[in-house]
Amino acid sequence: MNSSRAAALERESRLTQPVSGYGEPTACMESIIQTENLRKIYRVGKVDVHALRGVNLTVQEGEFIAIVGPSGCGKSTLLHVLGGLTHPSTGKVLVDGNDFSIMSDAERTKFRRHKIGFVFQRFNLLPTLSARDNIALAQHIQGNGFNPHRFDAVVDMLGIREKLNARPYALSGGEQQRVAIARAVICEPKILLADEPTGNLDTQNSQLVLNMMRALNRSFRQTILMITHNPEAAGVADRIVRMRDGRIIYD
Amino acid sequence: MIVANILHRPVRTAVSILAIAIEVVMVLIVVGLTGGMVHETAKRVEGLGADLMLQPPGSSYLFGVSSAPMPIKIGNRLAELDHVLAVTPVLFQFNATGGINVIYGIDMASFDRVTGGFVYHKGGPFTGPDDLLVDDLYARANHVKVGQAINLLNHDFRVTGIVEHGKGARLFIPLSTAQDMAGAHDKTSIFFVKCTDPGYTDDVVESIRQLLPTYKVLSVRDYETLMTSNNLPALNTFVAALIAVAVSIGFLVIFLSMYTTITERTREIGILKSLGASKRYIISAILREAGLLCAFGIVAGWMGSLIGRRVIMASFPTLTVDLTVVWGVRAAVLALAGTLVGAFYPAFRAAQLDPVDALSYE
Repeated sequence: MNSSRAAALERESRLTQPVSGYGEPTACMESIIQTENLRKIYRVGKVDVHALRGVNLTVQEGEFIAIVGPSGCGKSTLLHVLGGLTHPSTGKVLVDGNDFSIMSDAERTKFRRHKIGFVFQRFNLLPTLSARDNIALAQHIQGNGFNPHRFDAVVDMLGIREKLNARPYALSGGEQQRVAIARAVICEPKILLADEPTGNLDTQNSQLVLNMMRALNRSFRQTILMITHNPEAAGVADRIVRMRDGRIIYD
Repeated sequence: MIVANILHRPVRTAVSILAIAIEVVMVLIVVGLTGGMVHETAKRVEGLGADLMLQPPGSSYLFGVSSAPMPIKIGNRLAELDHVLAVTPVLFQFNATGGINVIYGIDMASFDRVTGGFVYHKGGPFTGPDDLLVDDLYARANHVKVGQAINLLNHDFRVTGIVEHGKGARLFIPLSTAQDMAGAHDKTSIFFVKCTDPGYTDDVVESIRQLLPTYKVLSVRDYETLMTSNNLPALNTFVAALIAVAVSIGFLVIFLSMYTTITERTREIGILKSLGASKRYIISAILREAGLLCAFGIVAGWMGSLIGRRVIMASFPTLTVDLTVVWGVRAAVLALAGTLVGAFYPAFRAAQLDPVDALSYE
């Protein structure tokens, strides 16, 4: 067995082991997200759907928060609003000091480009690009050019160096999600929003991905909001927020 | 990403490139054929050796398009002018059987005085009213031999000679026969005039203008410069219409191709938006993809035009296809413009997609 393969196995073994100290609050306490009476109403045909019914949430910088709740409770909508993908109907959304409720679509897009990373349940890698190009694409869109040092650091931390030339269809679910995480954090976003990142993964890969997110949070003080149905996954977070019917019922 | 997208759907890519290539080939071949025809006609008129020509009022530079005959007696008045060496009348007959040709009805004696006479490859001059002379290119293209019977304009002719090309037309019949066929006795379509010295051309032109102010008199030198499709309104309209059809084909195929692409890649557009891609970024990416397809199509079109030219000129020796760099560039610009216009609406729609809807697109 060659040394790089051995190193990869060791890293994988280490990452699949639960990290000690889950639930310990991170040492930082500056508010990076703040919502006040946040409401979001969708119009479906002639019916108004109240996806968020007055959400008040404060997230400190460096926190790792799990948002849990039944399907349709508004978790994903909350994540979309916090990520600037959609605008709130009413209420206030302050993200890193910027009020999304008064920002235009273009302003929210620009903010998202620099400050927010997304990880999705279905990985959402571009199928025509290699893993390397999927990751580099985020840097290209950001417009600051390719940063090889950051690229190498992220790729090594996520253990995907040997998969960089592979297209998504040639990668396992766990590998795809690691590439997706690399893409999400390559531009050093202040906030990482993860929408059920382990939803399509088996137990081992789920643990791997969770450990990586935890490592990101601890190593880089990465603020993470993660939606999950999985109680074990939620246990990785510093804080659990429970939602039901568009409201936070437990924090 | 753009190259990867193009390679990802090879059939779509091939169809798009083919459409652009067809557009470019259509533009270049149509323009090349009309330009070649006009240029070649002008060269053949120059080959007559006449210094100037006289046409009746309202006639076209493109011989055969306008019959508008004039009295043949005018020739006598022209011959009396100073510095005029010889005058020959020609009655045009437009023949569309077995290809488009202008037949010259000629008076052999005066035609020889103006042109210096035919060079015969085979056979000899007219001996009867139903005799026909063809030039060597026509004979080769149509496998015509001396003595062969040919029906033109519902009239049976016999080929009496094959002559060197370059003397105005490819087919020549006796003037009297042409007048009978046209029902234009003692009439002619044009007079070609040879001066005693080419230096007197302008003087003779001026004299004719004074003599026949409403008639169209032109030196052969000026005729050559006027013989471009731009100076032939009907031809120009025809060319413009075909170019419009060609550009429309490219536009529609690119529009459909990119529209389909956008629908197919809705989720990917959502991903780009989640990464912070602006509307401008998305529009630019789609336009650049269409532009790259267009670039390949243009190159393929240029190559196709060169091949098409060889095929046409080998199959039809009487046709000339003038491919010019100027029109090569114009065809490329037209193709690119059509492509960008065709791709813009799909690109605009993609940029307007709601990121949440796009991400949930199945």
